[in-house]
Amino acid sequence: MKLKTLIALFAIFTLFAAACGDDDGDDASVDADDMVDESDDDNGGDGDDMDDEPHMDDGDMDDDGDDMADEPHMDDTVDIAGILAADLDDCADAPSGDPIRVGMAMDFSDVVGFVDIPGSNLVPFVADLANCAGGVNGRPVEVRVAEVGDDAALAAEELLDWGAHFLIGPPFADFALPILQTTEGRVPLFVAASTEPTLADASINSYLVTFDDHQMSSAAANWALDQGITRAILFTEGEGVPYTGVNPDAFAAAFIAGGGEVVSTQTYVWFEDTDFSAQVNEIAGISDNTEAVFSAALGYQVTALRGQLEGQGLDGLTYIGTDALDATGIQSEDNNEGIAHTPHTSISAGDPIDSLLAHYEAVNGEALESRGFMALYVDSMFLGIQGMLDCGCDEPARIGEAVQQISGFQGMSGEITYAGTNGIPPKAVPINRIVNGEDVLVDTRS
Amino acid sequence: MIELLQNLIDGLGRGSIYALLALGVAVVFGVMHLLNFAHGELITISGYAAYAAGQQGWSWYIIAPLIVVCAVVSSLVIERVAFSRVRGESDFTLLLTSFGVHFVVSAVFLLYVSASVKTYPRPGWVTNTYSLGPLNIEVFDTVVIVVTIITLIATTMLLQRTMFGLALRAASADFDTARLMGVKSDSVIRGAFALSGLLAGIAGVFWLMRSGSTTPSAGIDPMLKGVLAALIGGLGSLRGAVLGGFALGLAEVLLRSRLPDSIASLTEGVVFVLIALLFIFRPQGLITVAHAERV
Repeated sequence: MKLKTLIALFAIFTLFAAACGDDDGDDASVDADDMVDESDDDNGGDGDDMDDEPHMDDGDMDDDGDDMADEPHMDDTVDIAGILAADLDDCADAPSGDPIRVGMAMDFSDVVGFVDIPGSNLVPFVADLANCAGGVNGRPVEVRVAEVGDDAALAAEELLDWGAHFLIGPPFADFALPILQTTEGRVPLFVAASTEPTLADASINSYLVTFDDHQMSSAAANWALDQGITRAILFTEGEGVPYTGVNPDAFAAAFIAGGGEVVSTQTYVWFEDTDFSAQVNEIAGISDNTEAVFSAALGYQVTALRGQLEGQGLDGLTYIGTDALDATGIQSEDNNEGIAHTPHTSISAGDPIDSLLAHYEAVNGEALESRGFMALYVDSMFLGIQGMLDCGCDEPARIGEAVQQISGFQGMSGEITYAGTNGIPPKAVPINRIVNGEDVLVDTRS
Repeated sequence: MIELLQNLIDGLGRGSIYALLALGVAVVFGVMHLLNFAHGELITISGYAAYAAGQQGWSWYIIAPLIVVCAVVSSLVIERVAFSRVRGESDFTLLLTSFGVHFVVSAVFLLYVSASVKTYPRPGWVTNTYSLGPLNIEVFDTVVIVVTIITLIATTMLLQRTMFGLALRAASADFDTARLMGVKSDSVIRGAFALSGLLAGIAGVFWLMRSGSTTPSAGIDPMLKGVLAALIGGLGSLRGAVLGGFALGLAEVLLRSRLPDSIASLTEGVVFVLIALLFIFRPQGLITVAHAERV
């Protein structure tokens, strides 16, 4: 009897913890402490002396570099096109300067691994391209990937010890905040795939690379209003809950401000729920079959919900989601026709990011699982390097100051400006919709 | 009133799946005193089988039995690879082993398949409904309830009218005495795992039909529901497990529907509070199981 009581208490404790919103994905995280991917092993150093290294001043061809056999052209902006055009089978002379060190603290669990894993594959690949193109102002680019596992702070510490000039971090506060607590603003952190406004704070060198939840969901609400939709049904995990609650909150605020009405707010469990019977019964009693159904739910959740609502005869609803739909492959879901969403990059054939992804696939033999988010990871690296070029320095704190002043940077995910912001670039929000089975850009909202 | 009836049917549908999961947990607990936290991995593994089959364009007439076979085979393999090694060890060791199996299975899919959600087509009829007076009833719920009832009847007959059932029940009541009476421990334990896998497989068919997706941690939720329902019913009681499953399903649906909007997001938390209260006032669960402890 004692055993059963103990087990029951243990189970209750565990279940309470789960119910209180802990990331169940932690359970699935890989145990390996870190995974290292040196994109340029030949140029590795311990980095202890990096702070006092000579700097690459913008456009000053006479400064430093006297140890280089061939004086490289000194760029003041990252030559993205040149890097992407590099042919790995026909590289320029290997860069010999002090390495630019890019630290990636990534989550490989199934919480964020769907973007962080492909991102941590693509960034080192782009670093290889950069090195193949002769490096950045003659300096090789090194990338080290540390898996956050159960201790994001430890991963950040490892990267700082390595001498990272800037970091690329995982989305979600659970992972990114411990990294910020570790860096204490000493090193710029680009939270590549995140839309959480609370993670951006230029004063502590933390930057989003894309629009935030407010921009994203406000854009969706305004688009819905422009379609003539005046009633909305929201699915949320609760007011103010990061991402799953903040996005519906922002949608509601913009929708109501634009003259719309939220007729029902339903709750659900993100990632888990695929049976919405209770919510559907309630909605069936109030819907006039014209509403927008908005949530930050994942692709398979939205299609499950849609199926159940249509089963109740509600086939006139418009489903609108966030970047989570792109992240979870709404394009390949059944019953996805007409679903609108807000991806980070609306990729067309022949786009630079499309070409890069094709290049990666050709070299590595397999495609990356995520596409729409990948430009954000590559841009994170380019933005950090741009900060280094702008300040002509290797000191992370000064790199951060330079990043804060970046304006009009033409990245792969669009134009990025940090000057005058708190670390959230004011980017346009693409509105995509599944039309005749194709995911097409139907609008862009500033 | 109509919405309440609708919710009751929905709750029974959901509870049916929980009941099957809980019964699988209870069967294994009965013979091994193992609270199997790896039970959900049978659905994870089956989910990836469903995904692979879906990629090939296979029909659900093939995918459904494939899921059941996968669950049974996986259950036997896990028993053979993991639990047979620690048989006779302390209950805590068994518990930790089950956690280990859970983590290993998740990690294998994470490392060697993908961290991304893998989706596959749901059968078209899953969201179909039919009218019964003022009620709109999901065909899915009806099928789940009917299949669960048939499965429970078949399981009852298996346990009460076969030698295997007799051995299983004897082992559940007192494993050591059952062995002294000639019950082969290997057979009964493997049989229990096979039965547990079969029940998980049937539950998995419906779970996976509804979700249309799988991830490396897809087994956590069904594991929690199954274990929780078994605890509610009274660990070791097969009837209690079924009762616990239905109670949990009904509680979830009714609470989500009936709680005020301002606290509706706390549905899961309220469910757990109710369960905690149940354990305070009735720590043995809904049904008291009287049998000897293993020594």
